Amino acid sequence: MDSRGPIGQNVPGLPNAHSMPITNPLNASPLVFPVLECIHIAGFALSVGTIAIVDFRLLGIGMRRETPSQLDRDTFYWTLGGISLMVFTGLLLFSSDPDMYYLNIAFDLKMFFLLLAIVFHYTIHRKAVRSDAAGGGKLVACVSLALWLCVVFGGIFIGFLNSTLDIDKV
Amino acid sequence: MILRFAQWIQLTDFFTYLRGSSYTYPVILSLHMTAIALFGGMILMTDLRLLGLAMTSRPASHVMDQLRVPKRFGFLLVATCGILMLGSKAEEYYYNAFFRAKLVLLLLVAVHALIFRGSVYNRAAEFDRTGQIPGRAKLAAVLSLLLWIGIACMGRGIGYIEPPWGIQARLWPF
Repeated sequence: MDSRGPIGQNVPGLPNAHSMPITNPLNASPLVFPVLECIHIAGFALSVGTIAIVDFRLLGIGMRRETPSQLDRDTFYWTLGGISLMVFTGLLLFSSDPDMYYLNIAFDLKMFFLLLAIVFHYTIHRKAVRSDAAGGGKLVACVSLALWLCVVFGGIFIGFLNSTLDIDKV
Repeated sequence: MILRFAQWIQLTDFFTYLRGSSYTYPVILSLHMTAIALFGGMILMTDLRLLGLAMTSRPASHVMDQLRVPKRFGFLLVATCGILMLGSKAEEYYYNAFFRAKLVLLLLVAVHALIFRGSVYNRAAEFDRTGQIPGRAKLAAVLSLLLWIGIACMGRGIGYIEPPWGIQARLWPF
């Protein structure tokens, strides 16, 4: 399930990839991409995993002996670290074949949901968690889990939609 | 015998459908990844708690005891999706070196559980009473982290590396 498209493929409207003088050192070894992906997965397990612990608590599942705000304080830096690792390796992965990603509808949707998920997490979600919301807590948890689920699905479908590149978008 | 079984199971109607499906297969893979995030995140937090790096304001027994059941559900989801994907490409997986390594690591996880269950995982309350995490608990946490990270990396490897058929078939005795 190599999620990369053909490297150096010509795309109408973009400079000919073969004539471009700059080559990305990340494409020099076939091992770099899968290794980066492993780190990407570790980062997302750390971030989404810690967020899920708090969300499950809001739903009354799992760590019920602590309050949501206690869990939030304890996972805050791990979540942030996971998100940073995930975004940083994600940018490197993107740089290996940007035009393939640019033309991939699953990638666009993933970025849309990622942006929404991060903004939601540090605004509405944080507010609800820190106030140990009893009423709206469940709804916030469901929205948070659903947004991250969309991000994961988008990421996987990038590798399965290579053949349906939307050339008209260029 | 295992090879025969692998060839037979991937040719059943169900797994033939799964292999050729454009959406069902990636949906299963996505669920596999989602469960890795949920289940993996909880494993990370438990192990980091034992190492005194995360959730230190909460008692170790709270973290370990309360995450036990959610972790089991997560593992059930990961394994179910994994087995569905394995069945649809059983013969290819049979020859895949990364898949074999992953199986060995999973076996080691079971051994790890057998070794440390009594002395570490069922004694979290004791750690809280004494206020100290003993060395064997930290060792268990480090080994658990290494094993699970290894399993995730092997899983990623399965999707990439073309099996060198001839050589690997001779190395695999069954």
